[in-house]
Amino acid sequence: MADITELKHRIGSIHDTHQITKAMELISVAKMRKAIQKQTYSSVYLDSVRYTLKDIMLHSTDIRHKYLERRRDNRAAYIVIAGDKGLAGAFNNNVLNLAWEHMQAHPVHYVITIGQMARAYFEARHQTVDLEFTHAVASPTMHDARGITWDILDLYDRNLMDEVYVVFTRMRSTSVHEPTLVKLLPIEAEDIEADVKSSYSGQLSYDPSPKQVLNVLVPQYLIGIIYAALIHSSASEHAARMMAMSNANKNAEKMLDALNLEYNRLRQSSITTELLDLTSGRFAAENDA
Amino acid sequence: MRTFFLEIITPEKTFFRGEVESIHIPAVGGSCTIMGGHQPMVFAVEPGAMRITQEGKTREAFMSEGFVEVRPDETIAFAQAVEWPEEINERRAAEAKERAEEQLRRNRSAAEYRLNRIALQRAFARLQVKHHNYLSDR
Repeated sequence: MADITELKHRIGSIHDTHQITKAMELISVAKMRKAIQKQTYSSVYLDSVRYTLKDIMLHSTDIRHKYLERRRDNRAAYIVIAGDKGLAGAFNNNVLNLAWEHMQAHPVHYVITIGQMARAYFEARHQTVDLEFTHAVASPTMHDARGITWDILDLYDRNLMDEVYVVFTRMRSTSVHEPTLVKLLPIEAEDIEADVKSSYSGQLSYDPSPKQVLNVLVPQYLIGIIYAALIHSSASEHAARMMAMSNANKNAEKMLDALNLEYNRLRQSSITTELLDLTSGRFAAENDA
Repeated sequence: MRTFFLEIITPEKTFFRGEVESIHIPAVGGSCTIMGGHQPMVFAVEPGAMRITQEGKTREAFMSEGFVEVRPDETIAFAQAVEWPEEINERRAAEAKERAEEQLRRNRSAAEYRLNRIALQRAFARLQVKHHNYLSDR
């Protein structure tokens, strides 16, 4: 049986932790609401932009462009999006493990991380991080997405990589988040999972020329995808943290209940012993007199 | 007049959905107007003024870089940002213009020059749409 002061100390510390997790849950709920609003809009964008791109690809079979052609080697670059903080259940690990597994299939790869946890994960595995973006996780903006896209395209244009993947957590609903890997470059119709039922056959026309259109279209598409990935990731992070914290709250309450019961029992029994001591002492004194 | 279904989507919101008579876009190859029954086509768009005509009324809006796909069943436009004149933050656009001009004066590389030029074009287009007060009954 534990010492009563020790027990009291434990109850105190669990109570403090409980208060922290309760506050964190409330914060996550508020942040998640905001993030989900953005996430709904960017989901619409993500789905229709991928659908449209596939439609465009299916109707431009004989068009050649530097972003549409598969290159000979397979040096892969990974943009890995995770959170800045832990305490969000398996959120960070799920997405990072997916990236890690996929990397093992590509001997030559570059790692671009977004978020502190992603960098820490790869450093712990002695994987050099080639490029890092900070401040894009907490509240992603179009400006962040633009910066990331232009940097990646610059590296791709300089022929330093042959394939570009983005790994992020996609939010299906508040409770379902799945780590997702999307191939960004080169763009190929079969990589896009959208189920296109085209309303026409034949070739698309381009104004002014396929090359000029694609020079604008591809970066714009990438900015949209990266922005959506950042938004999805941050919404999932808040949702995962909210769930983790609500579990922590429940656990803390259960532990507090058990410990309080224990504490009360101990207190009661110590009072009983003290009373016994007192009365028996008094009896002894009276008998002696 | 023949109408067609138009959708304008940005990563931050769905800007427009509805039957329209025509849309005027600031395409890279020069401004052009798309009407019902257009052949399937893809346009790249640069920052500028866009005009939608719906039920005889025309409204103007700012449109950032993006692209437009014309399909027989619908026309769909994607852009980084699309804003009605009343949504444009004039002070921010003016600041962006000054910043871009400043950067252009001391530009370092071709890539930076390109980015700054687009930023300047965006700021100009926003200010232009804001002050234009396009009349819908013309």
